[in-house]
Amino acid sequence: MQKTKGYKQIISWLKTDKKKPFDFQKETWQHYLDGYSGLVNAPTGFGKTFSVFLAVVIEGLNQPKPVKGLQLIWITPLRSLAKDIARAMREVLLEIGLDWHVGVRNGDTSQAEKLQQKKAMPEILLITPESLHLLLAQKGSTSIFKNLNCIVADEWHELLGSKRGVLVELALSRIKGLQKANGNQILRVWGISATIGNIQEALDVIVPETDAKKIIVKAKLEKKIEIKTILPEKIETLPWAGHLGLKLAHKLIPIIEKSKTTLIFINTRGQSEIWYQHLLDIEPDLAGRIAIHHGSIDFELRNWIEDSLHSGLLKAVIATSSLDLGVDFKPVDTVVQIGSPKGVARFLQRAGRSGHSPNEISKIYFLPTHALEIVEAAAIKEAARENNIESREPFVMVFDTLIQYLVTLAVGDGFDDKIIYQEIIQTNAFKELLPEEWAWAMQFITSGGDSLTAYNEFKKVVKDDDGLWKVKSRQIAMRHRLHIGTIVSDAMLKVKFLSGGYIGMVEEYFVSKIKTGDSFILAGRVLEFVQIKDMTVIVRRSKQKKAMSPSWLGGRLPLSSNLGAVLRKKYNEVLDKKHQDEELDTVYPLFLIQQERSHVPRNDELLIEMINNREGFHLFAYPFEGRLVHEILGALVAYRLSKLVPITFSIAMNDYGFELLSDTEIPMDDSIAYEVFSPKNLAEDITLSINSTEMAKRKFRDIACISGLVFQGYPGKYVKNKHLQSSADLFFNVFNDFDKHNLLLRQAYEEVFYQQLEEPRLAAALHRIQNSNIVITYPKRFTPLSFPVKVDSLRANMSSEELEQRIERMKKEVFK
Amino acid sequence: MKIEIRGEELILDKERAIFLPNEKLLAISDLHLGKAAHFRKAGLSIPNTVSRNDLLRLENLLHKYQPKTLLINGDMFHSDYNTEIDEFAKWKENFNKVSFILVKGNHDRQKEELYADLAIEVYEPSYSSTKFCFIHDVAECNSNLYSIGGHLHPGISIYNKAKQRLKLPCFYFGENHAILPAFSIFTGLQLLKPKEDDQVFAITPTKVVKV
Repeated sequence: MQKTKGYKQIISWLKTDKKKPFDFQKETWQHYLDGYSGLVNAPTGFGKTFSVFLAVVIEGLNQPKPVKGLQLIWITPLRSLAKDIARAMREVLLEIGLDWHVGVRNGDTSQAEKLQQKKAMPEILLITPESLHLLLAQKGSTSIFKNLNCIVADEWHELLGSKRGVLVELALSRIKGLQKANGNQILRVWGISATIGNIQEALDVIVPETDAKKIIVKAKLEKKIEIKTILPEKIETLPWAGHLGLKLAHKLIPIIEKSKTTLIFINTRGQSEIWYQHLLDIEPDLAGRIAIHHGSIDFELRNWIEDSLHSGLLKAVIATSSLDLGVDFKPVDTVVQIGSPKGVARFLQRAGRSGHSPNEISKIYFLPTHALEIVEAAAIKEAARENNIESREPFVMVFDTLIQYLVTLAVGDGFDDKIIYQEIIQTNAFKELLPEEWAWAMQFITSGGDSLTAYNEFKKVVKDDDGLWKVKSRQIAMRHRLHIGTIVSDAMLKVKFLSGGYIGMVEEYFVSKIKTGDSFILAGRVLEFVQIKDMTVIVRRSKQKKAMSPSWLGGRLPLSSNLGAVLRKKYNEVLDKKHQDEELDTVYPLFLIQQERSHVPRNDELLIEMINNREGFHLFAYPFEGRLVHEILGALVAYRLSKLVPITFSIAMNDYGFELLSDTEIPMDDSIAYEVFSPKNLAEDITLSINSTEMAKRKFRDIACISGLVFQGYPGKYVKNKHLQSSADLFFNVFNDFDKHNLLLRQAYEEVFYQQLEEPRLAAALHRIQNSNIVITYPKRFTPLSFPVKVDSLRANMSSEELEQRIERMKKEVFK
Repeated sequence: MKIEIRGEELILDKERAIFLPNEKLLAISDLHLGKAAHFRKAGLSIPNTVSRNDLLRLENLLHKYQPKTLLINGDMFHSDYNTEIDEFAKWKENFNKVSFILVKGNHDRQKEELYADLAIEVYEPSYSSTKFCFIHDVAECNSNLYSIGGHLHPGISIYNKAKQRLKLPCFYFGENHAILPAFSIFTGLQLLKPKEDDQVFAITPTKVVKV
């Protein structure tokens, strides 16, 4: 490689900038030129982008005559990333003097630009997984991948653990297939990933062929991170439960003032709006110097904020995960995380947003939103120190995504089912797909039923004269294009000023609750609702100071099991006082209250609290396994208890434990406790408990959207679908009653089982509990541990009573 | 369950129908026949057992009550003509002794001839029995009789202090009007907020319960 023209050119270009390549970059270039696919694993801020990108450039420079046409597809999970990476790439190409164009294609790309690309594809295309599928859904799209040399999945760790990762896998399988059909085998696939627990698996998902030349290139570089918790003077200042943490906001002001630029991460969009208002309230001087950035803010505004971040114009930006990844904002030297980041990997990633240059230290502050979260801060610090980083489990056998993909191909140039089947079973996601499951998926989109009941009127994908499966109806094709993707949200409406100018988006659900004249905040502005017109929310500036914040029904992240384990250990240490953590000193008084009212669970204990009050009979248990596992565990324990006596529960949970609430007394003693937490009969009891709650039904909501059963509609692109309105819940019931073999239905149950339940994790937890001491206490009042669970509003029901009896008892209260 | 409205006896059936013994009239609302097929036409796989099941339930009701008249209180056919209407026509031949009445609803946009061919008497906007005025949307009623409507697909939510909640389809009887549950299983629910003196009857899989 060292002797090649391209390599020399790159090295001399770096020299003029007084830079030289890192070892991992050179390694990547060499492997790439040798025809390898692979995975680059390096911390942020060390030029991950330049590892694979420059490899492709070197190869391009080495060609005897300039190559044209699409060479490199660069997949990014976030739209905001594409713009910045494109800018960096263009600069390099210009300085080196390689006449390649860099194009961006995603939801923000204008129609004109997309048309331009269709005429002449740029050499480098930056794209989201969804837009890549949209490209496959276009007529004539199959020819553009002919000369493609490389596909890169940037921030692969972020895509891997979601159905978007499956979108990438499927697109890759198709593009490889197309190249093979052309007698071409030049394509190399590279993932770029931050450190995760299962880095080898990450490679095997993106390059699934066992006989492929593939390698992991690991940077032997370490990013220094400084973590500091923002602690209250007195623990009493902080509430026992909550997600907002405004009580400590005043402590943020000096941090913002003394830093160059601060990024403030908050877990939800709604909370970020409230924080923005609050910071301005307590420090009016910040007006015009802080901004707010999240996925529901209009593209133009986001652009402006990102540009201002680059130029150092802003003192602070409040952001959600929309700014989580790779964008390199040089002036940012401080990061604040408000509320639990729920996992070590995410926390480190966010920390990496500051001090982006190789040798700088990343500085991150953790601001707890409720008292117990301070313990989490101590746990995160320890986990980060020990590099105890989570794995991202890839999705498999997601029929909703498969069905969407098949229709995507049918909307595009059509597909040959035999060829596509061979491509699909090469992917990690569908390597276990059985021929009969494939046949079901094909029937689902072609005949609308199983082999016995083909429906004449069913029209979706039909076999064309050339033998390919295609979508003939323009209406179905258009509707499908609008719904490509696996991120499911409520229908979103654009928000626009009466005088013109877009501000952002809110969920239709939120708009349905407000009246003309009501005010709400979006993008940090107080807006007065005027009317809805053409699927757009029309507003004017409001004179009010305060207003409600729209809630976006984003998913709530569960605590990772890595963090849960460290957290249990920290609980042990608080009362012992044999620790070095200032955080634990701060919460000490709270643990004294817990100890006085009930008990502080030790590492080898499971605490159960039985509390009776006006609301009814509560059972609290604290396994510290994260919200998702608690949801299942709560249902399991409720189910087992309900086998002992006819009883009805409502179930609530948070990351620390779960609550069963009943209006009749709950049977409980030592022997019952060990029995209901027993790993015996686990699989069977879980199946029965999942069936009797609505967990699968909730999973089905996403599945119904992704597989195209339910239409979401898109902002500004309102599709009239007369007489086709239906809800995912209704489909779920209908399939449950009349079509038990429906694989989408099965997927819903399996998603509960494998993704949410993490069966090994649950079994491990139950074995741990069997070997622990179960401590049952009967507190008179709520305890610091139980209170946050009790106030959580997401609840499920579980009952072993006759429905009629329940109604009989409940109705006495209804009309009171 | 038997109840009395304006001195007239009514039987509420858990299969989402009411029967008036004095008039030998069985009334249902929002049958939405052809909805599954309409979805299939648009490329959404819904098994046809859904509509067959609805017809089977209706068949059982006709056997059980032996009515002279079956009144469908609007939204009989979901959308345009499709195969499920053919199936209905064949099914209906078994009940030539029962007279079918349709009170038109917002979904009923078929050609007049179709109803004539099927021997269905069509009323618009309402049909009055001795004591009651049947109309699809009670909001549009201007009769002095007690009106019985449909259209809403009513449901009731019941909850208690222990944060438990149930959502069930229901019959609603207010001071001047009643609302029937949607007959088809392939329909959603719209939750009602009943007033103090209103009577609401929830429908469970096994019976009708007053709440």
